[in-house]
Amino acid sequence: MTEDRIDFSPLDPTEDAERFEGIVASISDAAAPALATRRARASVVGQVGLWWKPLLAAAALAGIVSVGALLHYQASATTIAELEDVGIAEAIGVPSQIADWVRSDEAPTTAELLWALEEQS
Amino acid sequence: MASDRGTDLPDALLVERARRGDAGAFEALVRRHYRAAFAVALALLGNAMDAEDVSQDAFIRALERLDEIRRPERFAAWLLQIVRNRARNYHDYRRVRSAASLEEVQAHGDDDTANAAERSELRRKLESELSGLGETQREVVLLHDLEGWKHREIAQALEISEGMSRQHLMVARRTLRERLGVEFLKEHSHD
Repeated sequence: MTEDRIDFSPLDPTEDAERFEGIVASISDAAAPALATRRARASVVGQVGLWWKPLLAAAALAGIVSVGALLHYQASATTIAELEDVGIAEAIGVPSQIADWVRSDEAPTTAELLWALEEQS
Repeated sequence: MASDRGTDLPDALLVERARRGDAGAFEALVRRHYRAAFAVALALLGNAMDAEDVSQDAFIRALERLDEIRRPERFAAWLLQIVRNRARNYHDYRRVRSAASLEEVQAHGDDDTANAAERSELRRKLESELSGLGETQREVVLLHDLEGWKHREIAQALEISEGMSRQHLMVARRTLRERLGVEFLKEHSHD
């Protein structure tokens, strides 16, 4: 099959070595800015790659601290709200015993109600 | 990021390095596949100067799109697809400058030696007779006889069957022989 081959060597761009080197140099020159961009991008990605574990650990620590602080704040806020509720009930003249029943959401028995009224009078 | 020329490395590795901006790896890909790119461009454009322009442009385009390649081990077939697209786009541009094209080819071949003049004439003759073939026949015969690819590789790159590649080669060679003439081929044979 090789002997049937058509000789295309006059069209072969690599036949003239000097000219081919010129072509390769021309392509390389034109490619240089794109290759430089790729190198820069690869180095940024590489740095992020190196630092991603410590960064992740720091972010996790910051998250834990934030959640702890938030829970602590919520607990404090609840206590203050309860104190404020008692303060308002007493401010409008509701007996403290009745205010306790309201807060506990339990209905008083008749005896407890009578005892509270007697104590009030 | 300097590197060796990477001439022994597989395409997949060279592509991976070129993606990271390794100029040596990219140059190795150019050296390895330039002739195939040129063969396909020549098959589509029928003119060595235009084929050269398109091949060079295709490599730059390939570098820009290197992240899109899904199978780096099949870089050659992917590159040839870019060459084909660039060559087709080039057709319109070429229509405008077609008159100048022949002058450029002649000017390029206008060396001071008789041998260079003869080579230039032979190049023009080959280009002219290639233009009488079908597009796929030109691609097959140039990839096979100029670049030295096997039918399996041609079939993969051109998305045809191996049998069809053989068929195209046979018809292309027969047609070229008839047109170029046996005497012409003997006269210019390297053997």
